Amino acid sequence: MGTSYASELLAQLVADPLHPALWLGHQLGRSGSQVVATGFAALDAQLPGGGWPRRVLSELLLLHPGIGEMRLLAPPLVAAQRAGRPVMLFDPPAALSATALAQLGFDVGELLVVNTRARVVPGSDSLWALEQALKSGHVGAVLAWLPPRLRAERLRRLQLAAHNHDGAAFVLREAAAAVRPTASPLRLGLRAGGADRLQVSVIKRRGPPLEQPLSLELPPVLSNAARRRAGTVVEPAVPLSAATFVNLA
Amino acid sequence: MIWVALHLPSLSLESFSATLAVPREGEAGAPPIALVDAHRISATNAAARSLGVKAGLKRATALALAPRIVLGQADTARDQRALLPVAHAALAFTPQVSMPHGHGDEADHTVLLEVQASLRYFGGLPRLLVRLADALKPLGHTVRIASAATAQGAAVLARIEPAPHCADLAATCRALHEVPVWLFGPGREHWEALQGMGLRKLGDLLGLPRSGLARRFGEGLLAEIDAALGRRPDPREPIVLAPMFESRLELFARADSTEQVLYGASVLLERLVAWLSAQHSFVRRFRLLMHHEGRWQESQRTPQATTLEIALADPSRDSAHLLVLLRERLAQLQLPAPTLELALQAEDIVKRAAPNQELFPTPQNENEGLTRLIERLQARLGADQVQRLTANEDHRPERASLLRAADAASRPGKAARASRSIAAVAKAQGRAGVASETRATGSARPVWLQPEPEPLVERNARPWYEGRVLRLLSGPERIEAGWWDDALAERDYFIAEASDGALVWIYRERLPLSGRGDGNDAGWFLHGRFG
Repeated sequence: MGTSYASELLAQLVADPLHPALWLGHQLGRSGSQVVATGFAALDAQLPGGGWPRRVLSELLLLHPGIGEMRLLAPPLVAAQRAGRPVMLFDPPAALSATALAQLGFDVGELLVVNTRARVVPGSDSLWALEQALKSGHVGAVLAWLPPRLRAERLRRLQLAAHNHDGAAFVLREAAAAVRPTASPLRLGLRAGGADRLQVSVIKRRGPPLEQPLSLELPPVLSNAARRRAGTVVEPAVPLSAATFVNLA
Repeated sequence: MIWVALHLPSLSLESFSATLAVPREGEAGAPPIALVDAHRISATNAAARSLGVKAGLKRATALALAPRIVLGQADTARDQRALLPVAHAALAFTPQVSMPHGHGDEADHTVLLEVQASLRYFGGLPRLLVRLADALKPLGHTVRIASAATAQGAAVLARIEPAPHCADLAATCRALHEVPVWLFGPGREHWEALQGMGLRKLGDLLGLPRSGLARRFGEGLLAEIDAALGRRPDPREPIVLAPMFESRLELFARADSTEQVLYGASVLLERLVAWLSAQHSFVRRFRLLMHHEGRWQESQRTPQATTLEIALADPSRDSAHLLVLLRERLAQLQLPAPTLELALQAEDIVKRAAPNQELFPTPQNENEGLTRLIERLQARLGADQVQRLTANEDHRPERASLLRAADAASRPGKAARASRSIAAVAKAQGRAGVASETRATGSARPVWLQPEPEPLVERNARPWYEGRVLRLLSGPERIEAGWWDDALAERDYFIAEASDGALVWIYRERLPLSGRGDGNDAGWFLHGRFG
């Protein structure tokens, strides 16, 4: 009797929660403000609210640039540009190719690229520039590559500044930062999962942890024939020999 | 005619404290300040009064009570320079602004405005006075405001506490009857005599015969009383606004740090904003000159003054924004010597209507906000660090994209942007439609390009990267370009898969490389990564 009443109550809470900001342990949380669609249905299903959250910094952790992160982030940035709002990139790790960005759908002439590494005393300026852009509230979307080994309070300050920013904001950091906790409500780890595939593991989100990483199919760069070639040919694995015991006596 | 008088009772003290480059009165860290006149304290600020320093004390007593007190002397030229911005701020309300002069004492620290013609626009005298007080607040002076039917009457009434507001001539006369006589210039000289006769207020004087007063105390006193009571015409010359703004501030102590220069510069910026609001215009460019101490010159070539010129992308009148820009530019400037005097000059202004204050963000608002953000970033990081990307017509991938410094002022118009975005969408859709073809021909480009192509090792006739072999998946795409300049590029591009699954863009040089002694150079280079 008691258990059925408890389960009824639970079912009721699941169906009609007390407050939009509350969620039960096994549920996916809801994002306070509207979300920006990711462009990938599998990822939308796993993110609280069904998309990239606004007014917060979402962290993406990767080993090195060039695994498909721009193709993953192109849909929200292009959507911001189509809505007429500016998109700013902070400290891109390498030179950008205008044709490639145009192929992804960007309006290349409207992008703003801010380089803070050329200063004599680098470090403080990159965070200052990002904070100014977030606080102004006039930027549509922000994509920033942060310097490595940032202190937690600097990130917290950036999160507070992001409250003024009505749009998606992404910071890309080194993969080694995954073990250190931060105040970001959404943290994803990115790895290359084969040709034109990206493996996304959700490190932190407002909801239950995700055991299996997602494998997303990115907008293809290779032709179909090339992709088939990538899939079938398997590199012969080097067989590991058993450890040999050498008697030095 | 309704005359409003603005009297600044502590103008000398405030103009002196502006030269000190310290936080203003009321803020944390404001030091006690006092003015000295013939070895006696003549004026004190609130911090000094709280320590017990009063007017009339001797200099030594004051120093004993407050060892950290800063003592200075009044300077009429400096006071006039500080009074002018108040007159400019008042010019935003009426063109009839005049400053009395000639007495050479406290009566000079008054600005008179004739506001009868402006009452209807501002919605009545009380509202006009409130807006006037708001406009004067950034200048940082204590102002006493009084209004009367005559100019002289208002000037006199502004010096009593509390300052009355008289609606018409009869009320003015009634208020003036209670005014002490020494407020009138000539009355001060004869104050002891008048006091001995028991004539303290103006009402007492008016009961006496005029010829006797004229004989004993001079015509000047009677003339002034008549002007105040409205019995005598009192024309006032309105001030003329200078076409160019120039203001100097001599610092009390030499300024060694940016913060100290900024305190002085913020005072000058407020004066500039007052001058701009007087003519309803916005500034496009201004110059800050910092004059250095003479004897610090190491060589003859050390300049006497450093000039910092700030050009704005969007003409503005916002003192906070101007101060931010000045702060960022000053932080990067290396001054050769400590600064003794600051001067601000501006002549490039633009007359425009003030923008309407919007409640919700509009596209124009956003544009202005973005322009100001770009200006701020460029002021601190340098104009070349905020860039826009453009596509260049060149097949060589390293020259196909150009980064150029963003121009904050010029942004593509909305129509151009809309048409461009539609065209881009159409192009993208079109491209997606023939995606299979283009992919097959290999015109996919990587987002990330290495600034310099990285040479790769070749083993077993295959390129190796980071110790693992690269598997060639797509290609070759041949790019031959640059025969017209030194950077000839003849390359076969391939898309390859690295060990972790990431796609990289590598190429092989077609012509044999010469001059490199390395045995391993077969001409494989890593040029980009597919992001």
